[in-house]
Amino acid sequence: MDEEYEVIVLGTGLKECILSGLLSVDGVKVLHMDRNDYYGGESTSLNLNQLWKKFRGEEKAPEHLGASRDYNVDMMPKFMMGNGKLVRTLIHTDVTKYLSFKAVDGSYVFVKGKVQKVPATPMEALKSSLMGIFEKRRAGKFFSFVQEYDEKDPKTHDGMDLTRVTTKELIAKYGLDGNTIDFIGHAVALHTNDQHLDQPAFDTVMRMKLYAESLARFQGTSPYIYPLYGLGELPQAFARLSAVYGGTYMLNKPECKVEFDEGGKVIGVTSEGETAKCKKIVCDPSYLPNKVRKIGRVARAIAIMSHPIPNTNDSHSVQVIIPQKQLARKSDMYVFCCSYSHNVAPKGKFIAFVSTDAETDNPQTELKPGTDLLGPVDEIFFDMYDRYEPVNEPELDNCFISTSYDATTHFETTVADVLNMYTLITGKQLDLSVDLSAASAAEE
Amino acid sequence: MPSRRRTLLKVIILGDSGVGKTSLMNQYVNKKFSNQYKATIGADFLTKEVQFEDRLFTLQIWDTAGQERFQSLGVAFYRGADCCVLVYDVNSMKSFENLNNWREEFLIQASPSDPENFPFVLIGNKVDVDDGNSRVVSEKKAKAWCASKGNIPYFETSAKVGTNVEEAFQCIAKDALKSGEEEELYLPDTIDVGTSNQQRSTGCEC
Repeated sequence: MDEEYEVIVLGTGLKECILSGLLSVDGVKVLHMDRNDYYGGESTSLNLNQLWKKFRGEEKAPEHLGASRDYNVDMMPKFMMGNGKLVRTLIHTDVTKYLSFKAVDGSYVFVKGKVQKVPATPMEALKSSLMGIFEKRRAGKFFSFVQEYDEKDPKTHDGMDLTRVTTKELIAKYGLDGNTIDFIGHAVALHTNDQHLDQPAFDTVMRMKLYAESLARFQGTSPYIYPLYGLGELPQAFARLSAVYGGTYMLNKPECKVEFDEGGKVIGVTSEGETAKCKKIVCDPSYLPNKVRKIGRVARAIAIMSHPIPNTNDSHSVQVIIPQKQLARKSDMYVFCCSYSHNVAPKGKFIAFVSTDAETDNPQTELKPGTDLLGPVDEIFFDMYDRYEPVNEPELDNCFISTSYDATTHFETTVADVLNMYTLITGKQLDLSVDLSAASAAEE
Repeated sequence: MPSRRRTLLKVIILGDSGVGKTSLMNQYVNKKFSNQYKATIGADFLTKEVQFEDRLFTLQIWDTAGQERFQSLGVAFYRGADCCVLVYDVNSMKSFENLNNWREEFLIQASPSDPENFPFVLIGNKVDVDDGNSRVVSEKKAKAWCASKGNIPYFETSAKVGTNVEEAFQCIAKDALKSGEEEELYLPDTIDVGTSNQQRSTGCEC
């Protein structure tokens, strides 16, 4: 380990592994370390015994639940948007060759006391029971506008400058009602709260377009895809990319201590009495706790079940978004379910998650609206974790710290953080559009 | 979901750094050898079509990509392997002694459904070095180890000059095929996310 590297990455979370892969492909000499003996850090997938150890102390899991190795329980449950940034990153790096994906069966929203399928196209809007007959026509017109909107073509703007007009004003123009606004804002545009209504509408429209494009991408019943064997596959896939391009991997390295010079600039990492030198550090918040600040907490529940989530048309993989207003909360609640059909549980078993930004100290009570949707559960675990963001100046200390994962059930914020860090570290913008152009060319 | 008939067989190659794992793969698939040693860079997996009884199979041979150097292979690397190749250097007693660790690591990480009968193949590489004068692991000792692990096949090779490489991989392919056919894997329908190469290739054709 007493060697010299350009970048040392600490923690093998998904963000850190993507960065390790990208930097190694760029020819950067990377050392990647983790205190755990598995990949994934906070974003890993645990087998049954690991799950029991984490949440129930040292207990062995009950035998009736099946083989431990058959479980891959995500610690950060999220689906991938079919046309989203993570898929584009996977294609850009060719990491898809290490992975297999399935389309997610369903995308639902909890509105008016019911779990309902999310429409995202004019056609779907007309069939949806979410809206009455007149509201359907208004929503259909709105979806058509969004679908046709092209930033560069003023004819599609319907006389509005979306960089000035707010989302609220745009929606008012189409006369949509409160429940429609809720499901569009939260289950299609995937906003986590209602602040977007007072912001320029451009972002919301682009998000809605992403949702529709993702839906069309794999001709699925939802805009999401998900890897076989769970999300823990993703950090491992990017780590392998890094290794293939020369990255050095050291799992099971306790006490990774970051060393600084007198000027406060990073010079290396010490572990087990050996020091590796480097010019830059990339890490998750847990490795440099003095350089991060708490920005909130996430409450989550993890359940093992023997049935799909009720009212989701027997979906083996599903997301249900509960918009904040439906619960009189400040932020949305997310319900996520996957199953043996994604090889994350033994035959007949389902894994469900409920998560939200915590607003109380009691996750069990706070998550009740979500856990009530699950029906009977075989086992359930409740947890709370803190979220952090960096407060250091990377240009002063050369430390690049990722922000903790949020409660959302998609990866767009995760990859945005990665791309921003990549630019800070390298000074370069990662161009993910080339492959999409190729994809578009393929479609034509 | 109904299981799909196996046409892709996964083989993984394990062993200490520097025993010649990557060179063996390259010699078998590409008939190439590089004298330049660096801890593996750029090796990933290689594929080779093999034919048995009028059926064509794709052998997918996975290198460790250097992650074995500090015992940092992930569970995904091991998953779904149909055969495990263990490699040691006949000139390095340490690499032979570590075979037990590699075999046990495989059984823990891969958790095969029938661990007693999972197919391993042992390769003793670098028999060409110094015309055999620096050899420290005898063939007898290696064969005794194989016998103690359920009579697994043993080959002595030189990736450099190509000695026995083809024979070793023929055996590996045969064992992988037998293992792959016996395993009734649950293979969900997957979607094609598409690789850059495919996209670019298709784009060029437009």
